[in-house]
Formats: sequence, structure tokens, C-alpha cells
Amino acid sequence: MTTIREEMWKFKGILFNFAVSDLKIRYKNSVLGIIWSLVEPLLMLGVLFFVFSTMFKFEIENFPIYLLLGIICYNFFKNGTTFALNSLTNRSSLMTQIYFPRAIPGLSSGVTAAIMLLLELVVLGIFMVALEYTPPITILVLPLILALEFLLVLGMALPLSVLNVKFKDTEFIWMVVVHAGFFLTPIFYQFDMLPDYVQSVLQFSPVVQVVTMAHHVVLYGILPSVNSVLYAVGSTSIIVIIGYLIFRRYQVRIVEEI
Amino acid sequence: MDQDAITVQNVSKQFRLYHEKRDSIFEAATSFFQKKQHYEILHALDDVSFNVKHGEIFGIIGSNGAGKTTLLRIISKIYGPDSGSVNVQGTIIPVLALGLGFHPELTAVTNIYQSSVILGFNKNEISKRVDDIIKFAELEKFADTKVKNFSAGMQMRLAFSTSVLVDPDILLLDEVFAVGDVSFQKKCYDTIMDFKKRGKAIIYVSHDMTAVKSFCDTVMYLDKGKVGMIGKPKETVNAYIESLNKQDQKH
Repeated sequence: MTTIREEMWKFKGILFNFAVSDLKIRYKNSVLGIIWSLVEPLLMLGVLFFVFSTMFKFEIENFPIYLLLGIICYNFFKNGTTFALNSLTNRSSLMTQIYFPRAIPGLSSGVTAAIMLLLELVVLGIFMVALEYTPPITILVLPLILALEFLLVLGMALPLSVLNVKFKDTEFIWMVVVHAGFFLTPIFYQFDMLPDYVQSVLQFSPVVQVVTMAHHVVLYGILPSVNSVLYAVGSTSIIVIIGYLIFRRYQVRIVEEI
Repeated sequence: MDQDAITVQNVSKQFRLYHEKRDSIFEAATSFFQKKQHYEILHALDDVSFNVKHGEIFGIIGSNGAGKTTLLRIISKIYGPDSGSVNVQGTIIPVLALGLGFHPELTAVTNIYQSSVILGFNKNEISKRVDDIIKFAELEKFADTKVKNFSAGMQMRLAFSTSVLVDPDILLLDEVFAVGDVSFQKKCYDTIMDFKKRGKAIIYVSHDMTAVKSFCDTVMYLDKGKVGMIGKPKETVNAYIESLNKQDQKH
């Protein structure tokens, strides 16, 4: 039993070491350092706010917070999965020199994204204070929703990390998916604004459900509906299981292919 | 400890040698319909068996492409064998030709942390040893320099020091002395002898026949993935050189 515990301990150590060193490498030699990770979501916020509040005259209450929350949730998904794409090839020299579980680079990409998410949440807090917005008590459910999203990110990161070694197209396909996903997720509009038939398709997207639930608990004081929770948990579980199976199939020879 | 430190039994490993590598899903899909084979099988290792005892220095020699590095990678679990089994008693550290997989953008100290964490140490244990590792590698001035600015010799010194000071039970050395200077070679030699005295097993891969003859206890000669001979250093080295001469005559 002790050996299993030791293995887990070691696994965790490597995971966090990778996650932190990835952040260090990413922002090394830049003057602002990790602050850069906040520039992108804030820039998106500025542009979307300008476009949709002045040109399209959307009337969503507390629009800046609505937007920022959606951007942050989506960024978490985008960062975790895109970091995973090259997580194995970036560590090719390490992979061919010392043995460690092949799942770690992919999973650590998710952890890196989670660290960035925490920073962005601080910014969201600052916005709430600056706009004198008091969130309803249901905001306490937000960590649970984000935990579910974390599971989703890990479930996608694992297969993406090996698939991109096997097939270089994965990266290009995934970038298209991520870009399209941004517009198909209720970040700058409300889910109800979509026509019914679109809603009935998009409800299967766990990201759509996560963002919608986050909006509900932070802005409207509504707990997620049973329907939302079932769809989100269901689709996430399916993705995690399929992701793990894909990973298991390809991981064996992956070091030889790098 | 009756059991051998390393037991390798009937290990075989094949690689697919792609002539035109199928990298994209489109190519994979189209080639699915063509029956043409895109690769040939390379027998990197073919039915290799040997044992290494505790306190033994086991040399492996052979020409380039004979499967020496592949064998070390299989022993250290980086590759899985296609058939056969490998049994290792204790912690194992590979020191392959180019360092311990150091990340070029990280400093020497950060890399020591990274490698040792992967080898199974926690932060406190490493903190105690970092200074010793840097000192042993004679890299005091460069502790906070990025590894990408290191010479090959410096990287090797850092890798060797890290692996020696984490004190593994088994050490795999692949061409490590090729880039070190004379004084560091002496230091390595002393350390290896000390390891041997303390009952640790060492596998030493080299093209330096004088070194192999002078400090290995047993030597294996690999010939295109097959075991050519296992025996006393002198005889095995002679057999290897003879086979090379024969090949020359053929040409």
C-alpha cells in the first residue's frame, strides 16, 4: 500500500513541477511576466463590450461582468486544451531520457491553465468591487462548476497530448474547434436568444452548460437547473472516458514517435 | 541480496522504419485503402538476455545502431520491450549521452529540481543536495545560468553530478566520458569505483575500448541487436574488434 501512496506522491510532485515550470518558461524574458496572461482576456472584454454594447445594443444586465465571466470560463477550457497539444513534444528530450508516467505532461497543462484561471478570477473580483456589484449568495456554487470544468479540461488534455504526436493535424483541427466554440458559447449573448433547434444541439456541449451555470449563479442568483447539471456531468463523463481510452491506446509507443 | 540487480530475459524490440512518415489523418485515411506497406521492420534488439549483479560494472560495446541505447532505454522503462522481460532491483538512473533531459530554458538549479522530482525526490531532500551537486559539477558560477548556454561538457557534468548525488542503486552510463575533460573524467572514475564498492550495479556503454577493458567486470558485445558475446572484458573486446576487421575485409 505504501508504494501506491509513494507513487501518487511522486506523481503529484512531477505534475506541479511541470505546471509551474511551464508558466515560468512561458513568461520568461517578458517584462510584465505573468501579467500577460491577464492582458488577453481583458482585451477581449474591451473589444466585445465595445462591439455589443454600442453597435448591437445588447441589453444584458451587468454586461461587463457577464462578458468577463464567460471569457474567463472559456479561456480556462481553451488554455488547458491548447497547452496540452504540444505538451509532449515540448518535453521530448526529457521523455527520451527519464521514465515518468506519460499522462503527466497533458494533465499538467490543465493545472497550468487552472493557475491562470485563479489569477483571472482575482481580476473578476476587482471588477465586481469597482462596479459596486454585490453577487448573490449562489456564487458559492461557482467553485463546484469550475471543478467540473477542470475535469472536462483534463479529460480533453489527455487525448489531445498523444493525438497531436501521432497526427500533426490535431493541432490545426483543434484550433478551429476552439475558435468556433467561442462563438457557439453564450459568452457575449444569452443562451435563450438562440433559436430552439440551435439550443437543442448546443445543450450537449459541456462548455455551454458550464458557462450558462456560471452566469446563473454569479449574476441571477439561480441555482443550476437539474437539466443543466445532468447534461454537463453526463457529457463531461463521456468525454473523460473516451479521452482516457484514446490516451491508453496511444500512450504505449508514444515516446518512440516523438 | 541474492537476486541480481538487473535481469534481462529474451528482450526483443522492433521499430517501424517509415519511409514516408504518415503524419496526418488524411494520409492515414487514404493509406488505409492502399495495401502498400509504408515501413519496414528494424530489429533493434533480438532475443537479448543477460544479468548484472550488485557491485558489478557491466560494459556494453558494439557499433553504432547495434541497439545499445535502445537497450538502456528499455531497462529504464522509457521504451517497452515487444517481448521478453526486464527485472530491476532498486532505483535506477539513466545518464544518457546528452544529459538528463534538461530543459534549455531553465537554469541549472531549476533543472536539478525538475530531474530529481521526476526521479522521485521531494523538495526538501533536493534542497539539501543542490549545493553539493553544483559543487561536484564545478558549476558554481553557472548555477543560475540557463542550460541552453551550457557547453556539451558542462551539461554532461551537471547530469552526472545530479544522478550520482541522488544516490541510485543502479547507474546507466551512456558515453558519458566522451565530452568531459581529463580532471572530471578522473572524478567520475573515482565515483564509479566508490559505487561499485558499495554494491551498486553499473552499466557502462562506450566506444572507448581501453576504458572498457580497464574497469568493466563483464562485457557484452552487441551485433545488430543480437548478443555477439558475453564474457571477460579482454576477450569480448578482441572478439568485437575481430568481427570489425572481418567486415572490412569483405568490403
